[in-house]
Amino acid sequence: MVRKTLWVLLILNTLNAENVFERNCVTCHQELPATLQEMFKRYLLIYSSETNVKAGIKHYLRYPSKDISAMSDLFVDTYGIKEKTKLSPRELNEAVNIYWEKYKVFGKLK
Amino acid sequence: MSVSKNKATNSLLRSEKQSLLRFFALYVAMVLLMIVVLSYYYYQTQEKLMLSNQRATLFKYGFIQAKRLKVLHHFFDERTKYPRDPRFTSAIYDVEKKAIFSLLEEKNVRFDKEIYMIHNHIHFLKSLDDFYLGTKYIIIEVKDDGVWRNIIWKNILGYGLFTFFLFMLFGLYLAKLFLKPMRDSIVLLDRFIKDTTHELNTPLSAILANIEMMDTDVMIEKNKTKLNRINIAAKTVSTLYKDLTYLTLEQEKENEDEHIDVKALIEDRVEYFTILAESKKLRYELELQPAMIFMDRRKFTRVIDNLISNAIKYNKRKGVVGFSLKQGELIIWDTGIGIKESKIPFIFDRYIRFNKSEGGFGVGLSIVKKIIDEYNMRIEVKSKEFEGTKMVLKW
Repeated sequence: MVRKTLWVLLILNTLNAENVFERNCVTCHQELPATLQEMFKRYLLIYSSETNVKAGIKHYLRYPSKDISAMSDLFVDTYGIKEKTKLSPRELNEAVNIYWEKYKVFGKLK
Repeated sequence: MSVSKNKATNSLLRSEKQSLLRFFALYVAMVLLMIVVLSYYYYQTQEKLMLSNQRATLFKYGFIQAKRLKVLHHFFDERTKYPRDPRFTSAIYDVEKKAIFSLLEEKNVRFDKEIYMIHNHIHFLKSLDDFYLGTKYIIIEVKDDGVWRNIIWKNILGYGLFTFFLFMLFGLYLAKLFLKPMRDSIVLLDRFIKDTTHELNTPLSAILANIEMMDTDVMIEKNKTKLNRINIAAKTVSTLYKDLTYLTLEQEKENEDEHIDVKALIEDRVEYFTILAESKKLRYELELQPAMIFMDRRKFTRVIDNLISNAIKYNKRKGVVGFSLKQGELIIWDTGIGIKESKIPFIFDRYIRFNKSEGGFGVGLSIVKKIIDEYNMRIEVKSKEFEGTKMVLKW
């Protein structure tokens, strides 16, 4: 009974999360050793600009593959390739925009 | 008989001066243009040389900054302090040339050149293969101390002025070379006139003296008319002779200045030219007030004679020759053919004649101008073509 209650609370908490990014990305990535910040920096290293980074992330989420992954081969071999996104294009856009705003370099350097 | 160049020949004619000025203006413009173009290319070359000297240092700074960015990338966002260096300032741009962070003093940045000067700053563009913090371009900026520019300007001014003066000397030589044929022809004409003048003196004196001595009372009317014609012709030649003698021999004589009664002198010269005026059925209009002038009588007579002679020579038949005299001003006017406005500035040039139908060498007004210039007098020419000319002499 207690276990069931905990599961219900967890599901409710997830559903009440603030936005699409936190609901669909943060929850899973919390379990990985590489943070979302580190992954963002890998995207920056490859794609540089806002347009390119966003396009790169969206493309990988739609068509995940080892060849186009920003992560190292060791990481991919260890943790595997994620599943294809089930988010609608609008939700995906929103999630990626939030991700960009959260970790972008612009305005943070002093 | 040999004749050396005299003062009159040495001085430039107005038309000569104009040709010389035009040539010189064009020449100076060409020389300046050439110096400016050469200076521009010299400046460009020196700037490129300076930039290529700076390139190695700036490349090293770019490399250092890239390494620092790499470190910052790894520690971002625990560390957010952009790496600074006292030797240079820098900025980072993403692949879309959007500034990620900038410390540049000169914000205008070009991405089409690796190294360039902009408003006393040198910019060096380093392109990265790994986009640390999203950086595709690092701009390294150093202040230009301007020493090289001062040296270049000194060189440009020094060598430019030297070249300019060298070309000016060459230009003067060229101008002399171009003017030589014109000047030679004037010298030749002078020589011819001088030689001829000497030969005219004796026969002309004989003719004039004999005309004076002739007893016209015993002559029949037909012969009187013929004698009149001879007298007119002789006086015309005499005026010309006096001009030529003045020009070639007398003008260098010492002046014998004296107070001249201008009214009396004009009346005397009008009387002298009466026979010429009558031949064209001209009428005199005299408004003479007493006036005095202090100058050489011989020279003043040449001025008056030439002005009257022209007023008669270029007048219409049955026209008028007018005189208006007051202290300090003499006006001699006629109702003749007039002079085109565009030609007025040239009428005092030697050997210039606008009307080829009348005889003469075109020396009369050049003598007038020379004398009035010598005595600091002024002459104004007011003329309307086909209506007449007014010569206003002021002293």
